[in-house]
Amino acid sequence: MTSPLARLLRSVAQVAVLVTLWAGTASAQEFQKVEGALRPELPAAPFVGTAYGFIWIAVLVYVLSVARGLARVRRDVEELRRTVGKIDGAGPRP
Amino acid sequence: MRSVGTGFLVAATAAAAGFLVVPRMILGAPLEPVMGFVQKIFYFHVPCATMLFLSTFTCAGGSIAYLFKGSEAGDRVAASAGELAVLFGICTLVTGPLWGRKAWGVWWQWDARLTSSLLLELVMMAYLLARRYAGPAGRKLSAALALFAAIDVPLVYKSVDIWRTVHPQTTVVPTLDPRMRPAFWSAFALILVVWSLLLALRMRLERARADLAALRLDVDEILEARS
Repeated sequence: MTSPLARLLRSVAQVAVLVTLWAGTASAQEFQKVEGALRPELPAAPFVGTAYGFIWIAVLVYVLSVARGLARVRRDVEELRRTVGKIDGAGPRP
Repeated sequence: MRSVGTGFLVAATAAAAGFLVVPRMILGAPLEPVMGFVQKIFYFHVPCATMLFLSTFTCAGGSIAYLFKGSEAGDRVAASAGELAVLFGICTLVTGPLWGRKAWGVWWQWDARLTSSLLLELVMMAYLLARRYAGPAGRKLSAALALFAAIDVPLVYKSVDIWRTVHPQTTVVPTLDPRMRPAFWSAFALILVVWSLLLALRMRLERARADLAALRLDVDEILEARS
């Protein structure tokens, strides 16, 4: 069995919780105007610099990879010529 | 090995001159009133996207020649252009978000232009992967993929007119401020020259590989005849 005072206190506590929740939700849905707030502005130069830098670095890396492929093919051709030269017994071809 | 041609040297000289002149023209062009300095990315972002389209069409053209006529030269063109499509696609997909982060406040939006461009890039990457790893049927499989990629190109281009997107529409270049046009078309010409040089260089590698393969066959025949 609970006393009337305890029941009253429990009812008051329940109402307080409900009012707090309602007020919290209501205030969370309100937007307040802030005067003179600083708008975070991103500087443009790093974006432009990164974009241009990326393009030219990508092109350079590609040129280097193709040049490396050409050098490898050249090396393989020379090796084959040496092999043919040894088979013929006349040394490497010019 | 073949020597470097005169055309290649002329184009390389033009590109070197362009590297000195074009950045100054871009910096000298007027600032766009809404976006400001970050709009300067436009001068290379649009040409890179155009080279992605051009590479894809070139790759598809070579693939058609290979698929229907068995042209080895067509296959070499397709292989070279396929790599350039991926290269310029990456440049487009990196410079675009850099511009978007400043202009829109976000790196990426799943809108029609951005998503279809990403899809095109992924198809071209699949082209290269199929070519490299799909075994004996890889060349034909990748050639078919190149045709699908070419079909995607008009869709990517018109996506901004068909669907509502945050990306600028296709009317931007035709209606460009006359004071911005010299810088834009100079940058476009520079990227086009660079693209042509890269294509010539990459095709040189393909030809050299084909010569090497033929030479290996000759050597194998000689060795077999001797044994």
